[in-house]
Amino acid sequence: MAVVADAGGSPDGKFAGALRRPLTPKTGILSHIASTSLGRNIGIGILLLILSFLTLYPLSMLFYGSLHSTPPGMAGEFNLDGYRQVLSAENVLILINTVGISFAKTIPAITLAVLLAWICARTDTPGRGVLEVLITLPFFIPPILTAMAWGMLGNKQVGVINMAWQWMTGTTDSPINVYSYGGIVWHMMQYSTPFLFLFIVDSFRAMDPSLEESSRMCGASRWFTFRRVTFMLMLPAIVSSFMLSLIRGIESFESPLFFGLPAGITVITTEIYNAINHRATPAYQYATALSFAIMAGMFLLVIWQWILLRGRSYTTVTGKGYSPNITKLGPWRWVTFSFCILFFIITVVLPVGQLAVGSFFKFFGFYSWDMLTLDHYSAVMQNKDFWRSLSNTMLLGLLGATATMILGGIIAYVTVRTRWRGRKLIDALAWLPWMMPGMVLGVGFLWAFAMLPGPIPIYGTIWALLLAYMALGTPISVRVMSSAYHQLSFDLEECSRVHGASWWQTLWRILIALAWPSFAVGWVLTFFGIIRELSASILLYSVGSEVLSVTLLKLWANGQAEQVSVIGLMMMLLVIFFRWVQLKLIKQRISTL
Amino acid sequence: MSAVLVEDVSRTFGDVIAVNRVNLKVERGEFVTLLGPSGCGKTTTLRMVAGLEQNTGGRISIGDRVVSDAEKGFFVPPDHRQLGMVFQSYAIWPHMTVFDNVAYPLRIRRKSKAEIEQRVMATLRLVEMDKFAQRPAPALSGGQQQRVAIARALVFEPEVLLLDEPLSNLDARLRTQMGDEFRALQKRLGITSLYVTHDQEEAMALSDRVVVMHGGHILQIGAPEEIYQRPVSRMVAAFFGSPNLLDAKVSACEPEAGTRYFQLTVNGNGWQGKARASEKFEPGESVLILVRPESVRVGDQAADGALSWTGKIVSSIFRGPRTSIAIETSGVRINIEAPAILGLKVGDQVKVAVPAGGAWAIRPEDAQK
Repeated sequence: MAVVADAGGSPDGKFAGALRRPLTPKTGILSHIASTSLGRNIGIGILLLILSFLTLYPLSMLFYGSLHSTPPGMAGEFNLDGYRQVLSAENVLILINTVGISFAKTIPAITLAVLLAWICARTDTPGRGVLEVLITLPFFIPPILTAMAWGMLGNKQVGVINMAWQWMTGTTDSPINVYSYGGIVWHMMQYSTPFLFLFIVDSFRAMDPSLEESSRMCGASRWFTFRRVTFMLMLPAIVSSFMLSLIRGIESFESPLFFGLPAGITVITTEIYNAINHRATPAYQYATALSFAIMAGMFLLVIWQWILLRGRSYTTVTGKGYSPNITKLGPWRWVTFSFCILFFIITVVLPVGQLAVGSFFKFFGFYSWDMLTLDHYSAVMQNKDFWRSLSNTMLLGLLGATATMILGGIIAYVTVRTRWRGRKLIDALAWLPWMMPGMVLGVGFLWAFAMLPGPIPIYGTIWALLLAYMALGTPISVRVMSSAYHQLSFDLEECSRVHGASWWQTLWRILIALAWPSFAVGWVLTFFGIIRELSASILLYSVGSEVLSVTLLKLWANGQAEQVSVIGLMMMLLVIFFRWVQLKLIKQRISTL
Repeated sequence: MSAVLVEDVSRTFGDVIAVNRVNLKVERGEFVTLLGPSGCGKTTTLRMVAGLEQNTGGRISIGDRVVSDAEKGFFVPPDHRQLGMVFQSYAIWPHMTVFDNVAYPLRIRRKSKAEIEQRVMATLRLVEMDKFAQRPAPALSGGQQQRVAIARALVFEPEVLLLDEPLSNLDARLRTQMGDEFRALQKRLGITSLYVTHDQEEAMALSDRVVVMHGGHILQIGAPEEIYQRPVSRMVAAFFGSPNLLDAKVSACEPEAGTRYFQLTVNGNGWQGKARASEKFEPGESVLILVRPESVRVGDQAADGALSWTGKIVSSIFRGPRTSIAIETSGVRINIEAPAILGLKVGDQVKVAVPAGGAWAIRPEDAQK
């Protein structure tokens, strides 16, 4: 049987690059085609093309637009006016606001996250498994929902908290006002803490207990050990979470939009939004220049993060399964338990409760029996915009999550499992959106779609949103899938090949069969990301292609807080359902692997 | 016709030559072991036979079929080579049961359901894992995983079974037991096996022939006894245990009657005697005399022509079944594995001797070039 050099790719990534070099000049025709790997080059080319369109193209259009004097798609001249406008005194204040708010929320959020992670991973607090699920839940709730709920809870005039305070003290003063710096920070903290918790908890859990035990054996106290061993080992994880939280804080849009704008506090994302949406004549050049400048700033931040973390990632996680040291807290374990529950109540129960309550009363803020009504439910049911945006969101969520995960799965395979030339470039391109705030990417795509030749009518359709979501989701999907592939040893694939399975059979029966739980988990994550996305959507939607978050924002702006509550409640149910599915998947995976 | 034929096979990774013009022939039913330190090219050789690595030079045949010929650019991918392989990590697919793991090669070959059922169970019985057929694969101990990996490699009756350090992940006791069991199975079924290990005891206990590799080259091929007792070079000798290697000069050399060996008379620093060699030496040439520590007898009256020394014991380590002692005599230090019951102590003056046939002469390295 003469089967010539396996075409179409090789499962043994280790030396596949060397393996595919033509061996001698006098090879046969068939093997020549196989050894020059036409198919592989075409595949790489297509992948590069897709990725360039998703990331490089909007980025370069951003640069183009920042120099262009007129809105996208119109004739104009090139000048530096946009950048001149960026360099103004107000913008210094905006920059200070943005960075200051981000620091102000990162420091308490990371402290809280470390504390909660320690409680869940390293103490005998009762019900830790359930607590962990409850603590991380706020991360999955779209921030637009909690923002609206807190807008109602912390309203100076009719907010429940202030009303309760007045009822308890008998006074008429309102101590809480969410429309303030404090409100922005408070809201950001709520979804940033569980996010940081997710990052940190595994490095707490996966630490080899002997590292700490040996410190104790050297005579160090428990506290000394925590400071000098446990904490120091955790430091890379904490520093990288810190940087990530800082970056995400700068990118954040919902909190400053809801709580900052009414109070006259502007940050960079809301400034970009204002320049395009809230001015008499949209200042595209200024907004684009600002976007490009912030992009550059993000780039510097990311480089700083690299420098900080270079050579500092201690591998405390080994393949061995051991249970970490558990600190016995005695009666204190009920204190830690209550602390976690309190966190859950504040971040989930209060806002969701507000949405539920708000949805059943005629006017929010007036809670008496005779105000109870189901009118808002029927209003929402009859609202055509709601149904259209719901179906748009669902369609985009399903399509977007699937497409993003498939793309991410392929990119991760190429970069992790093969030695193909060009894989480094693919990896870099796929990572590019990581440092682009949704708002910035939205502006980039605005230009990108407008600059496309006429016969490609993407602008203003839901496909524009789909592409933006895919770009935003790709870094995460690549990360999820490459960590899944990293865990599978090459032996598992090679063993299949030796025992008679072809490359395709191996891909299907071994690699995909083993990686699909990660795929599903990543899918749900991406899906969440899409249904919560606001900042790019708000720039790219047009009539007919609204998504839920945009509709919610419009309703809110019209003062229909009660209908917002109804829709918010439905979205919450959706979130809880998908989170439940995801947890079930993870559990299954852990029990089988 | 041989089961595996490796002719002039080389493999380079960039500038690094991992395997350098290796020639090897494995007969049907034979158990051949590639032995060497890590990085010697043994695993690469095995992977080239498997088709997981492509040889950059030479030709590989399995049975009567050429599977890879670098000069002609001809290469059969691993799935068309009809081989069974046991990986170091076992590579038991964690998303399948024991049964599914073993059935995999048969399902790929589109066998009927009944045949799969029957052959998988028969193979599992062979490795005594039939009770665990429905167990999920991750719920197995190391030894059980190893049995499943062997069953999976055997189930479709491959032409050759390849094993890549299959015992190295087991603890010492289990390693010996699994090794012996596998050797018994291999003999019973007559499976041609190509085995890779860095453990010399394992190699000697299991193999029909051992291939000693170093730096991408084959140093020696031979039966375990031959490799151990009659190494061709210092490197091979030093790879097995820690032998005494003594410098000496040849004073006479004559062919041994009835064998292909030569009988040498050698002179060391203050000692002399007879040693065997595989090649002819000229009188006056330097040789290295190899004496295995366990071949040295303490207190024996030296027979005619045997090597013997008298010296003081400078160290003594009790190891249970035996005592490792070292004696020093006129600048020569000799390590000896002596029976523990002799009760030897440091400082004792003893006479030691090597019985005829216990001393083997090899050319010193610098003289080989």
